[in-house]
Amino acid sequence: MRQLARIRLLSALAFSVVLVGSACAPGATPAGGGSGAPAGAPVAGGTVTIPIVADPTLNPWSPNAFVESLFVNRVLFDGLTKPGKDLAPAPDLAASWETSADGLSWTFKLREGVKWSDGKPFTADDVAFTFNDIVLQKDLGAQNRGNFAAVNKVTAVNATTVKFDLSRPFAALASYLAYNAGIVPKHVLSADPLKTTSFNKGIPVSTGPYKVEKYTSGESVVLTRNDNYFGTKPLLDKVVFSVVPDANTQIAQALAGDIGIMILDNKAAVDRIKSAPNVGIVSRPLVQYYWLALNQTDPRFTDVRVRQAFVDAIDRNAIIKSVELGYGSIANSPISPALSAYYDKSLASKYPYDPAKAKSLLAEAGWTPGADGVLMKDGKPFRFTMDVGQKGVLEPVNALIQQDLKKIGVVADLNTMEWNSYIQKVVVRREYTASVNWWTYPSDPDVFPYYHSTAAGKGFNIPGYLDPKLDDLLVQGQATADLEKRKAVYTKLQAYTAETLPYLFLWYPEEVDVVSKRLHGVPELGLRDAVHYIGEWWMTKQ
Amino acid sequence: MNRLTVVSIAVLITIALFVVVGPLLWTIPPEATDPAHALAGAGAAHPLGTDELGRDVLSRLAHGGQVTLLVGVAAMLAALVLGVVIGGFAGFYGGWADSLLMRFTDAMLAVPSFFLILVVITVIGSGPLPLILVIGGLSWMPVARVVYGETLRWKQAEFVLAARSLGTAPLRILARHILPQTIPSLVVSATLGVAYAILTESAVSYLGLGVQPPTPSWGNMLQRAQQYVFTAPVLAIYPGLAITVLVLAFNFLGDGLRDRFDPRARTGRA
Amino acid sequence: MVDDEAVGTFIARRVVVGALVVVFVSALTFFFVNLAPGGPASIMRIDVTSEQRDTLIRQMGLDRPVLQRYGEWLGGAVRGDLGTSLLTDEPVARRIGDRLPNTLLLAGTALLLSLLVGIPVGIMQALRRNGPLDHVLSVVSAVGLAIPVFWLGIVLILVFAVTLRVLPSAGVVTVGNGSPGDRLAHLVLPAFALATTILPTVVRFMRSALLEVLDAEYLRTATAKGLAHRIVVTRHALKNALIPVVSAVGALVPRLLGGTVVTEAVFGWPGMGRLALEAATGRDYTLVTGITVVTAAIAVATSILVDLIYTRLDPRVRLA
Repeated sequence: MRQLARIRLLSALAFSVVLVGSACAPGATPAGGGSGAPAGAPVAGGTVTIPIVADPTLNPWSPNAFVESLFVNRVLFDGLTKPGKDLAPAPDLAASWETSADGLSWTFKLREGVKWSDGKPFTADDVAFTFNDIVLQKDLGAQNRGNFAAVNKVTAVNATTVKFDLSRPFAALASYLAYNAGIVPKHVLSADPLKTTSFNKGIPVSTGPYKVEKYTSGESVVLTRNDNYFGTKPLLDKVVFSVVPDANTQIAQALAGDIGIMILDNKAAVDRIKSAPNVGIVSRPLVQYYWLALNQTDPRFTDVRVRQAFVDAIDRNAIIKSVELGYGSIANSPISPALSAYYDKSLASKYPYDPAKAKSLLAEAGWTPGADGVLMKDGKPFRFTMDVGQKGVLEPVNALIQQDLKKIGVVADLNTMEWNSYIQKVVVRREYTASVNWWTYPSDPDVFPYYHSTAAGKGFNIPGYLDPKLDDLLVQGQATADLEKRKAVYTKLQAYTAETLPYLFLWYPEEVDVVSKRLHGVPELGLRDAVHYIGEWWMTKQ
Repeated sequence: MNRLTVVSIAVLITIALFVVVGPLLWTIPPEATDPAHALAGAGAAHPLGTDELGRDVLSRLAHGGQVTLLVGVAAMLAALVLGVVIGGFAGFYGGWADSLLMRFTDAMLAVPSFFLILVVITVIGSGPLPLILVIGGLSWMPVARVVYGETLRWKQAEFVLAARSLGTAPLRILARHILPQTIPSLVVSATLGVAYAILTESAVSYLGLGVQPPTPSWGNMLQRAQQYVFTAPVLAIYPGLAITVLVLAFNFLGDGLRDRFDPRARTGRA
Repeated sequence: MVDDEAVGTFIARRVVVGALVVVFVSALTFFFVNLAPGGPASIMRIDVTSEQRDTLIRQMGLDRPVLQRYGEWLGGAVRGDLGTSLLTDEPVARRIGDRLPNTLLLAGTALLLSLLVGIPVGIMQALRRNGPLDHVLSVVSAVGLAIPVFWLGIVLILVFAVTLRVLPSAGVVTVGNGSPGDRLAHLVLPAFALATTILPTVVRFMRSALLEVLDAEYLRTATAKGLAHRIVVTRHALKNALIPVVSAVGALVPRLLGGTVVTEAVFGWPGMGRLALEAATGRDYTLVTGITVVTAAIAVATSILVDLIYTRLDPRVRLA
């Protein structure tokens, strides 16, 4: 059980850093709702309404469970672990776990007496079914199955013990099990695990604190208390996920007091919301970062000086200020400040905005200004196309980057595309030169899938960056279970990626949540993680 | 010519001057960002203020208007060409050409074209040229009907019969003698067609499938501005107002021309 | 009066032509949407591995030729099976069935509103031809026709939902309420916004149709019998003037249905328009085709219905 003790230590460490960190974040002032401000003793009752943008698919493994489904699925389907309030993995359906000395076998002790919402007992067979018959089935194409590439098979040792056999050490397993890896019922889904629509789009059988009462397409999913829930009886009577696709409409509803808590996708509205009497604003760091990928098949971008010059030339503070309204911080590595135990904040100031330095670096690399001010090398101007996907803040960000690059004599033409076509061009076919996007990953510094050379070309290594030294660090991180040693590996990895820039790191966004002043007990986590604790939320009476 | 028609023409000339000559006089590039001065109010440097990235709204309106007008007029021309060819042939040749072409026209009229526009635009991609082709390709039906009716009417006219008896080639008769007679009605259809095309462009751009940034159009300016509707509603006012005024002017002009060309319709502008 | 046999032949002919139109539209949509770049949203995600992508393409049968897939789809469609949605695995018919009532409610209310307001206003304008009221109302309806509906929608939400807080901004019901009054309150803004896309046209048609008939009637009767019969004449004229308005309404239905896409997007109205947009951007090929087919079928059915009403109203109309 030495592993368990270490997990607790990590939790304590990380928790204190999160508190300090969030106190410094802009706009993180407790605004009544959600945050620590005491509002009397918790009371039971009431309904919280959370807007989502589309009809959810109530099955965490369905390839059609998009981001709107996450919220609901995280409430309904418990995983073996869940993100702790410090983001380190905490017990959920598993009460404890340990790893073998070689790191190739993990044993999870399940919580006793857990029942599904239909009253049937939850057992190790459900866990084995979820993994062996869904996640590990190549032909099903389950969502996130890539996260468990290291898992060979899962064995139900007895009713309350499961064993994960791995093909290689995978220190992040417990964190990944907390990330959209809900356990689903064998007795309901064994016939058709991913396409049972009476489950996915109706009333699923689940273990979480709430269960589905009514699913109305295009309108809402209403959850009610699950009386079979193993944990403390949840406080709220009902949780309503209402389908509101338009961001402005969500804001209008929040202003009208119709919403309990929501992520403010359109940060531009933050000032309007701050002036509203019945809702408050809180901000949280996310395990997410924006990047600019420069395709490594283009010889101009294999020169590290060119990549560094681009980072020098992009005024990232201006981007954070105008596009994120200040809710974010400069990124120079893939490890987000939300992973406070690992994040190396000394790197934050590595590349201050410095167009002059950018120009001199480019000159070193052989790029000199031509007659019209555009940089030239071997008689060719420095000009390329940036593909822009139409989603979130990408369009304005690209507009700003284009202008910043213009100032150092680099011409970037923007090609804005509808999201679906964009993904096909940039991600599926890799027919691109440069593109901005972001990664969200489980709360663990293991970023192997996005950087390892085996992931270039077809995997998540979008720039196609190949570097044996980086590969080595990534493998070390996966094989190291000891927290201190692991921290050392990832500190090295951060410094190394900051220097070599496999992706050009842009910024770590913060999530801005709009919270009703009547809503309390929401932990200081991003909303997608905070819903794991929805049983602790409560509303003051109107 | 009534007063509204004159005012409409004046407004259209003003808008045309604004979008064509304006950018020559007001030379701030529409894509030049200045995040330090984002969402600035009206002032000497930026008469209409700046948008969320500090881009000059006046310049974007002028350049965006170019795109919007271009799409509107070109889509109308495409619809006109298609409509004249289909309606003219159907009316002139009659028989199976009539049945086939006009049933096709009816069929296309019965289909909610906006659905098809959405589908087609996702296929051929977004941008000014695809928009022109799609909007033109799905809005020629009223033109075809007008031309069809007029062709039927003029086919039996004495000068057409005379030309026929002189042995003039049928296509030549259609082109030289009949189609010119349809010009007054076509002018009316054309003006109303521009209005329709502009509204369609703005709606498609609003849904994110139209003219793609950084190229500004009044439609996509509105789409961006929508995010700022709570904090900087003025960003949505300018392009919205511009579209409304432009469409209004084209509609009034169309009505005025109809009254002028077709005295029967003077009493009722349908 | 037209004899019943002629009506029967007429209906049969129109139904056959209508069915062909619907098949044509389905083919057009199916092939077009399959040509579109990208693919179903489940595989066009940045966080899906290429191995998963290949598996899912096989699972959805998208590795087979388009022609074969269309053939299968058409085979199912004639038996009433519109296929399975690629993104939810539900029958397309059920997905449409979930949303169609909402769209019909919205479009129907907008249509009703347009007729209830448009016809009296048109009559009023015609009777006060060239008076100040006529001019003002003409300008108002011209403005209504020129305002982009989504812009109007945003303004309506800002004024009535955010500032005045008298009406809800989105959705069909408040969750947990669902009383008729609540439903009605949700309907007001979107129905009004959608109505503006056709109401001005109804007004203009009514006005011009009535003027045309009135002019003709006056020529014939007013001189003969004197102006005392004005009321009788107007009443008679009104009946004749309604005929072109009925046919105009038929032509407005496709526009109304097209307008629901944008209106539903602005007001978060869970209808077919929003579903169509989701389906098109998510490349749910079967769903897109199903929606277009159902919409086209509705439009075709409406036009047949309107023609029937037309023939009943006006005995002079020859059935062609």
